Amino acid sequence: MATTSTGASRARADLGTARTRGERRRAPRRRVDRVSYLFLLPAVLLFTVFITLPALAGAVISLTNYVGFGDWRFVGLANYAVLFTDPNVLTSYGFTLGFSVVTVVLVNAVALVLALGLNARIKLKTALRGVFFLPMVVSGIVIAFVFNYLFSTSLPALATTLRLTGLQTSLLADPDLAWIAVVLVTAWQAVPSALIIYLAGLLAIPEDVYEAAALDGATAWRQFWAITLPLVAGYVVINTVLGFKNFLNAYDIIVGLTDGGPGTSTRSVAMTIFSGFTGGDYAYQMANAVVFFVLTVVISVLQLQIIRRRGVSL
Amino acid sequence: MTPLTHPSRRALLRSAGAGLTATALAACGDATTAGGRTAIRFFQNKPETVDYVARLVAQFNASQDRVTAVHDSSQTLLVPQFVRNQPPDLAAWNYTLEVSGYVSTGVLTDLADLPEASTVDPKYQALIDQFATFEGQTNVLPFSVAAAGVIYNRRLFEEHGVEVPRTWSALLQACETFRTAGVTPIYTTAQEVWTVQQGLFDYCTGSALDVAGFFRDLRALGTEAGPDAEVSFSAVFADPVAKMLQLAAYSNPDAASRAYADGNLAFGRGEAAMYLQGPWAFGEIAKTDPDLPLGSFPLPMTEDPAQAGVRVNLDLALWIPTASPHRGEARTMLQWLMRPDVIGRYNADNLAISPLRDAAPLTDPRLVDLQPALDAGRIYQGAQTYVPLTIPIGNYLQDALRTGDGAALLRRLDEDWARLAARSAA
Repeated sequence: MATTSTGASRARADLGTARTRGERRRAPRRRVDRVSYLFLLPAVLLFTVFITLPALAGAVISLTNYVGFGDWRFVGLANYAVLFTDPNVLTSYGFTLGFSVVTVVLVNAVALVLALGLNARIKLKTALRGVFFLPMVVSGIVIAFVFNYLFSTSLPALATTLRLTGLQTSLLADPDLAWIAVVLVTAWQAVPSALIIYLAGLLAIPEDVYEAAALDGATAWRQFWAITLPLVAGYVVINTVLGFKNFLNAYDIIVGLTDGGPGTSTRSVAMTIFSGFTGGDYAYQMANAVVFFVLTVVISVLQLQIIRRRGVSL
Repeated sequence: MTPLTHPSRRALLRSAGAGLTATALAACGDATTAGGRTAIRFFQNKPETVDYVARLVAQFNASQDRVTAVHDSSQTLLVPQFVRNQPPDLAAWNYTLEVSGYVSTGVLTDLADLPEASTVDPKYQALIDQFATFEGQTNVLPFSVAAAGVIYNRRLFEEHGVEVPRTWSALLQACETFRTAGVTPIYTTAQEVWTVQQGLFDYCTGSALDVAGFFRDLRALGTEAGPDAEVSFSAVFADPVAKMLQLAAYSNPDAASRAYADGNLAFGRGEAAMYLQGPWAFGEIAKTDPDLPLGSFPLPMTEDPAQAGVRVNLDLALWIPTASPHRGEARTMLQWLMRPDVIGRYNADNLAISPLRDAAPLTDPRLVDLQPALDAGRIYQGAQTYVPLTIPIGNYLQDALRTGDGAALLRRLDEDWARLAARSAA
C-alpha cells in the first residue's frame, strides 16, 4: 500500500512538475484584437476591388480576342505565342529595362550629391531646397512638352549661334540619341523625390560621428566613403527599388517628348500596352500586361533578395 | 432646462446616405424631360465645328417638339462608352478603322430602310464598306466628306513661273525649280507622324495604286499574308514608296524635328511652295497670313494626269448604336440632319463635300482645283487609314524618311500584318 501510494504520489508529482514546466516553457499567448482586422478591411477591400479584380479580369481577357464589346471567343495562349516573337514588343522591353537601369543610377547619384550639398552649412539652405523640389510638383506631360520644345528648337538654335556642330540637329530626331533626352528629362523629374529621402537619411546621421572622424584626422572624402555611405545604404536601397519600379512604368514623359520615336526607338512597354485600348488590340496588350507584371514581380523579388543577403536594414 | 437636441451621429449619417442615394437616382434617371419630349445624347466633338453643330442642334430642337437633342461635345473616347454599354444615341464622328470595328462587331443599327440612305452618292457610301461591313447592312451614313490634296502657294508658283504639275515628271521639275531658287519645295513635319502618314504616304500611294482593292485582297489572304506573298506591301507598294522617298528628299532639311505647328507657321510665312496637308490646315495657315493665296491639286504619281487622285475621308458620318434606348428619336434627328439643305449648308460652310447625289461642287478657291478629280470619281481613302493602330506605321515611316530605306518599311508592315492575322485567326 505504501509503495502504490508512493508511486502514485510520485507520478502525480511528476505530472505536476511537468505541467509547471510546460506552462513556463510555453510563451504567453498574444491575444489579437479583432478590431485590427476591421482596420485592415477597408484597405483590403479597396485593393481587391480596384486592383486585384481588374488585374484578374485582364488576365482572363488575355486568353480571348475581346475588344471590349461585341462578339468574342477564347483563343487560348495564341496571344502569348505571338507576343514572344513580336519584335516591337521585345524592343520595347529592351529599351524600358535599359532606360530604367541608367535612370536609376543617374537619379541616385545626382540626388545623393545634391543632398550632401543641401545638408552642408550653406546660405539660403531652405530656399535652395525649395527650388530643387520644384520639378516634382509639375506634371510629367507638361515637363515633357516644354523639354520637347527646348530640345527641338532652342538647343539647336543655341548650338548654331555658338557653332557647336554636335548639337545642331535636334537630339530627339536621332534614334540613337533620343534615349539620352528621355533619360535626362525623367531624371530631372525624379531627382526631387530621391533627394528628399536622402536628406532625411543624412539628417538621421548624428553629428558626433563626424566630429569623432574629424578628430581622428579623416578627410572629407574618407568621411563620405566610410561614414556617410554605409549609413545611408538603406535609403539607397529604398530609392533604387522605388525608382526602378517607377521607371519601368515610364509613360507620360516619353509620350510628350518623343511619342515612342523617332521610329520605335524610345517606345516603352507602358506605351505599347496603352495602345491596345484604342487600337482594338485589347486582349493582346492584356497578355503583354500580364507578362510585364510577372517581370516586375521577378525583378522586385530579386531586389529584395539582394537586400536581405547584404543584410541592409530598411 | 431641456438640453438642445442635436441629431445623433447615426441619424446624421443616415440622412446623408439617403441624400446621396436620392441624388444618384435622380442623376441616372430616365431621359424623359418634362413636357413629354424625349432627350437623346448626340455625340459630336470635332473641335473645329463644335460651335456650328451646337447651332444645328438648337435648330433641330426648335423645329419639332418630340425630341430634345443634347449636344455632347466632350473629348471622351468612344471605346469605353461601348464597353460600358452606354454609347451615345446618335453620333456624328470621323469614320475610321475604329468605327469600322463597331460596324463589324454588329453594335450599330441598320439604316438601310431609311429613305435618306438612298440619297447618298454610291461612291461615298462605298468608302464605308471599304473598311468593314456587317451582314450586308448599312450601318453608317456619310455626312461630310473632306477632300485633301497638295496645298500650294499660288504666289510662289506665279513668281517662279511654275504651273500646277499634272504629271510625276512635272512635279519633280517643279521641285527642282523651287530648290534652285532657294525656296523649300515641300514642307515636311516628320516629328508628328500623323502628318507624314496622311500626307506623303497616303498621297503617294493613293494616286499610284488601287488602295481599296489592295486591302480587300490582303484581307482575303488571311494568315497567308507576309512579305513574300503576291499581295503584300513589299510587292505592291515598292514603287510608290520609292517615289515617295524621292519626293521627300525635296523637303526642308530640319523636317525630322519640325511639328505641325511649325509647318503651318513656315508655310504661312511663304517659306515653302507646297504642303501636303488637308483643308483643316487652312485655318491654321490663315493665323499667320490670312491673305496668302492658296490652292490644292491632286498629287500626280504617273505620267497620266487622269490617275492623280484626291484623298478623301469621311470627316463626319452618322450612326446609331444598337444599345441606344431611343432609336426612333435618334432616327428622327438623323433624318433631319440628312436633309439636303442642312447637309448642303454644313458642308458649304465648312470647306467639305456633301455626300449626297448631285451635291453642289466646291467653290472655295483653295479647293476648287480638286473638283475635276472628284467628279471623275478618282478618290481614295488613305492607305494608312486601313492599317490598324496596333501597327505603328507612322513610326516606321519616320525611320524610312530618315534612312531612305523604303523596303525595310514595307517588310515591317508585312510582318506586323502577318502577325496580326495570325492572332486574329487563332
